[in-house]
Amino acid sequence: MERNNKYSLDEIGNELPFTVPENYFEQFAAQMEKSITLKQISKTQIFKKWMMVAAVFVGLLAVGQLMYSTYSSYKQNDTENYEAYVLSQVNDAELMDNYVDELHD
Amino acid sequence: MNLTENELQQRLSDARTRTSAFSALVKLYQERLYWHIRKMVLCHDDANDVLQNTFLKAWKGLENFRGDAQLSTWLYRIATNETLTFLTSQRARNLQSTVDIEDVMCRNMKADQYFNGNEAQYKLQQAILTLPEKQRLVFNMKYFSDITYEKMEEILGTSVGALKASYHHAVKKIEKIVSDEEF
Repeated sequence: MERNNKYSLDEIGNELPFTVPENYFEQFAAQMEKSITLKQISKTQIFKKWMMVAAVFVGLLAVGQLMYSTYSSYKQNDTENYEAYVLSQVNDAELMDNYVDELHD
Repeated sequence: MNLTENELQQRLSDARTRTSAFSALVKLYQERLYWHIRKMVLCHDDANDVLQNTFLKAWKGLENFRGDAQLSTWLYRIATNETLTFLTSQRARNLQSTVDIEDVMCRNMKADQYFNGNEAQYKLQQAILTLPEKQRLVFNMKYFSDITYEKMEEILGTSVGALKASYHHAVKKIEKIVSDEEF
């Protein structure tokens, strides 16, 4: 009942003056379900991505280690081969003379 | 899915059934939470946003939910906090304006296509907006939803005595406004 803009709470009552779009709650529930599912998929994808990154990193480390080992072994062989070559160019007598000269120096 | 509170809590705590149980939770509580929010934010679009945030927060918080409160209480708490956060952000955005945020909210409410109140109901909403936010919550929960003071105490963390006093004062203030011709 409206009387010159003066009201009482009893007159106004407790009905809410609001509405919602048609099918709002059905659509809301469906939309929430979709959002939750997407979040689950996204979580799994992020986990898989980081696992891949970790795997690549470990792989690179392993390859790096292998290459280093190969290089070190090659370098050692190389040095040994060089020494063997040099030694093969001189005879024992010349080696002995060289040794004695060094002692006198 | 018609589940008891315990069954629902169990299914929510199990990763295998969590998603389907959460869907059931949404369907069970969405309307109650929507209206709880809508009474405070007034416009449908804002209520929709806050409701979404509420359920997303609830989903993220499921792992930490220990079952020490009922699901409804827990959800109402989240909805209340999200609503107050939203209103705080509205207030912050309105700082530069010369118009009070409550006036802005009133205008937006009247312009909202999902507002169908008469002049008396509009005046009541204007009067409610003069209350501080926490008191507005108490008034809305009691006047429109008739939530018990005990339930309100669980949700808001305020004693029953304080809630009764708050509601009583709110009613007095609102009665004065709605009966004032000049307002």
